[in-house]
Amino acid sequence: MARVIVVTSGKGGVGKTTTSASISTGLALRGFKTAVIDFDVGLRNLDLIMGCERRVVYDLINVVNGEANLNQALIKDKHCDNLFILPASQTRDKDALTEEGVEKVLKDLEHLGFDYILCDSPAGIERGAVMALTFADEAIVVSNPEVSSVRDSDRILGILQSKSRRAIEGREPVKEHLLVTRYSPKRVEDGEMLSYKDVQELLRIPLIGVIPESDDVLQASNQGTPAIHLKDSDVATAYQDVIARFLDEDRPLRFVTYEKPGILKRLFGGK
Amino acid sequence: MAEASLQGKLIEFKGASLAVMTAHIRETEATRLADALHMMLGGMPDFFAGEPAVLDFAQLTSVPDRVDWTAILSLLRRYQVQPIGVRNLHESLHDGARRAGLALLGAEGLTAGHRVIAPQPASAPAPAPAPVAEAAPAAAPAPAAAANVVAPTLVVDRPLRSGQQVYAKGGDLVLLAGMSPGSEVIADGSIHCYGPLRGRALAGARGDTSARIFSTNFGPELVSIAGVYRTFERGIPQAVAGRGAQVKLTGSDNLHTLEITPLQND
Repeated sequence: MARVIVVTSGKGGVGKTTTSASISTGLALRGFKTAVIDFDVGLRNLDLIMGCERRVVYDLINVVNGEANLNQALIKDKHCDNLFILPASQTRDKDALTEEGVEKVLKDLEHLGFDYILCDSPAGIERGAVMALTFADEAIVVSNPEVSSVRDSDRILGILQSKSRRAIEGREPVKEHLLVTRYSPKRVEDGEMLSYKDVQELLRIPLIGVIPESDDVLQASNQGTPAIHLKDSDVATAYQDVIARFLDEDRPLRFVTYEKPGILKRLFGGK
Repeated sequence: MAEASLQGKLIEFKGASLAVMTAHIRETEATRLADALHMMLGGMPDFFAGEPAVLDFAQLTSVPDRVDWTAILSLLRRYQVQPIGVRNLHESLHDGARRAGLALLGAEGLTAGHRVIAPQPASAPAPAPAPVAEAAPAAAPAPAAAANVVAPTLVVDRPLRSGQQVYAKGGDLVLLAGMSPGSEVIADGSIHCYGPLRGRALAGARGDTSARIFSTNFGPELVSIAGVYRTFERGIPQAVAGRGAQVKLTGSDNLHTLEITPLQND
């Protein structure tokens, strides 16, 4: 049985695509056959983050419309053999997504033997976002430590509860995970940011990880390499931890406390 | 054979009774009604959710020469009230009502309801139709009506999220996992919230002034009981913020005030 995981947030720019890229990569590195689908039809980004934008021939909408089959549209990742990307269409809009079409794509992926299917949701609560979460078994709700992002995440959790197939059919509800991204322990310490505990208290779903704010993320996306591949980066380590927790391994939270730089560091700089 | 017998029954008439609410209309000028409704329901255009209503004109202040039925009906429909008929209407206006597709109901055609829907702000001005308690014909308080039937309690197990809305029709509402900012709960009875109460909570939505709101973690955007409401622009009072608290109406008749007190549960 393939598990369908939606990466969603409500608000834009919080790190959904970065997270989708890193988590799908992380699962693939653990040996699971994984597909990641970009639902942001009209504003495709995932292919850029994954560094496969020059290899896009067919896209999700082509498959939904039956103009191409899945094998033609799936792009094999350049780093992992068992990771495949299904890009969004740049030229269409979200109305091109139909529930039947999306369901068929997910079914077909399951027949191809995929273990995990990640759906990278667009921002907002409109059609694209709803289509991305409709068939989800699990949801990773990405939130920044900031009130408007938390409010939007709360909204999307409500939509998950009311519009997902699992909810409509009265099956076991979608399993929810909270991922706090762009976290800066220093700014939390200074009282400029909500702490991850505040966010969790507001949203009341289990925390799967905290990803620190880092310049590495920008660098990684410019290179077209998912952040989880970065060497010696806190972000990569934090995403590795998320994968471990997702697979039910115990990992303590890291990168959530602020340590004042020591005297040597202050004198000589350094990372 | 079965088909043949069904053929004869393409339409069947059976007696049925329907619960409707009564809208006591004291003004037929559509613009003034619109103002009053806006004042009453401004933030909740879909409060009535398509409920059928009988328009009662018994308390009309003066009988006008003509009534703009089209304007009144479209106004009510905008608030999702579904007018089905009129009663206590002056005879000179019967033709117009009939032409507007409304049934003419006798004054005794309905048993008078005990409650009138009125999520009425405390500051609602005089022309606002259907204020809370005084419209009840025999001044029978709501609990008396409720005593006949066991009012269903609606239990919500999961956290109520921003943008979600729950209405416990005719009874109490129990929230087992709290509610988030931007969500809204409405109950005809009381609201019991185990966990954070953060959105808008409206108890006694049909005018039950004995309804209360209970929470183990108080911090709503708005509370209302039988239309008397309060917002917290300057923050939640220290004594109850984030703690157990209850909200109830004190005072009598037209001088209701909301009282928020800490719950002593330790």
